[in-house]
Amino acid sequence: MTRLQVLGAGAFGLAALAAFVGTPVPARPGEIDVNQLAGMIAREEDHVTAIDLAGWIKDRKPGLRVIDVRPVEAFDDFHLPTAESVPLPSISHAAFKTTDTLVLYSDGGAHAAQGWVLLRSLGYRHVYFLRGGLGEWLDDVMNPVIPATAAPDAKEVFKRTVELSLYFGGRPTVGDRPAATPTSQRIEAMKRRGC
Amino acid sequence: MSGLVLATMIGVAFGWTLERAGLGSARKLVGQFYLRDLTVFKVMFSAIVTAMLGAFWLSRLGIIDLGQIYLPETFIGPQLAGGLVFGIGFVVAGLCPGTSCVAAATGRVDGVATVFGMFMGVLATGLFLPRFAAFYASTPRGAFTLPEAFHLPYGTVVLLIALVALGGFTLAERIEGRR
Amino acid sequence: MIPARAARPYANPYYAGIALGLVLLASFVLTGRGLGASGAFASTASGVVHAVSPSTAAANFYFSRYLADGARPWRDWLVFELAGVMVGAWLSARLAGRLRATVERGPRVTSLVRLVLATAGGGAMGLGAVFARGCTSGQALTGGALLSVGSWLFVLGAFAAGYTAAPFLRRAWQ
Repeated sequence: MTRLQVLGAGAFGLAALAAFVGTPVPARPGEIDVNQLAGMIAREEDHVTAIDLAGWIKDRKPGLRVIDVRPVEAFDDFHLPTAESVPLPSISHAAFKTTDTLVLYSDGGAHAAQGWVLLRSLGYRHVYFLRGGLGEWLDDVMNPVIPATAAPDAKEVFKRTVELSLYFGGRPTVGDRPAATPTSQRIEAMKRRGC
Repeated sequence: MSGLVLATMIGVAFGWTLERAGLGSARKLVGQFYLRDLTVFKVMFSAIVTAMLGAFWLSRLGIIDLGQIYLPETFIGPQLAGGLVFGIGFVVAGLCPGTSCVAAATGRVDGVATVFGMFMGVLATGLFLPRFAAFYASTPRGAFTLPEAFHLPYGTVVLLIALVALGGFTLAERIEGRR
Repeated sequence: MIPARAARPYANPYYAGIALGLVLLASFVLTGRGLGASGAFASTASGVVHAVSPSTAAANFYFSRYLADGARPWRDWLVFELAGVMVGAWLSARLAGRLRATVERGPRVTSLVRLVLATAGGGAMGLGAVFARGCTSGQALTGGALLSVGSWLFVLGAFAAGYTAAPFLRRAWQ
């Protein structure tokens, strides 16, 4: 074979190998310390509440990154303020700083919780997720409710909630919480309100 | 600052390689479209396949991050239309923007004329662009790759392109051989 | 200048292509971006418009991009890269005895016609490159290697148009 034909064969070989391998993304093995993670989960050190997150966003906590692990279409439709879209399948090659505070969320919280395990396995330390998902944000930040019959100190705490809620364009109310509606419907209703 | 020094050095290598291949000669370049001299196809696709395979494997081995490399955004309508107009201009002038600089630097006055024409073309188009802003910004797809468009794995597309290129080279040798 | 008959033959196109691909790859690795050419024309044009009429430049969405944040359009990556292209081309030609002040043209046209055609063709390429956000260097080579859909559409369009227009321009080249 001529030198060029050798090169051509080489190129074909590399290309065929590329097709076999499939993706140019390097395989990153993660390490899971089961005991450590189980302990953190039991001590509830793995998640934050929507109110916590709202406070962090409002106070512009340094290094805070709000990560939406849902598909891009869901992100485009509605996402939390300052959130970034990192769909779960691509989480292994997201480039975060190890000093950042990462807060993951999804619709209900399950995928975000799984994302928490994945990111911790890749070595990130300051990772949390929103346990109640978007639903918790809509409930506790956008439409917080306090019963009229609540105790005075509860109402005192609620003032901070009201302050946060109004900051994000929410509607705090006093009274009974209406029956639960699916998250998607509530998102639609909120969008119609134009927030 | 070192970024600009690097840019210049890369440019020197770019210009050197183009001139070595003879792509500073309009008659040679145009030969592609009369099936007389298929150097343009051979150089361009050898380069694409080399860089494509190199980028894939460097990324796979963790040496570079493909996601960090700037991928030009896709605008289906304007880029297809722009390509058509560009192709016509290419056959009329016999040189493209990069090779016109090669030609000009090596003494070809037609290269200088092409550079001048290109500058005026970009200038005039830019000045009138606001009137065509709608078309200019139409059909955006963001950073859109062939694997995403055809729902194929990245590596499979790499292989397909390599096969097309290698097949094209074989065909090119036959076409040139017949002359 | 070295006489033309001492000029060396051109390099093998496949090896030249591989070398070009390696230059492109080096650019990816060292700078995180690929090659380009038409962008340098755009930033230069922005500089000119700004010099003549800053308000026109600022009001034009295409040119103002190159002037954002007080950026100086001459100190643009692509401008320096193209300057390098000319240096590299000159060096290569000098060493190969291919430097020649000449007008390359087909045998049936005069130099003047050739220069008019070169200018006109350049103008069309400028128009096409603006809408396509690049040219053969930026879109075909760089975007092609990175599998960008728009870049491949550009390449296919350019080749299709070239082959279609070529028969009408035979007189200019053959």
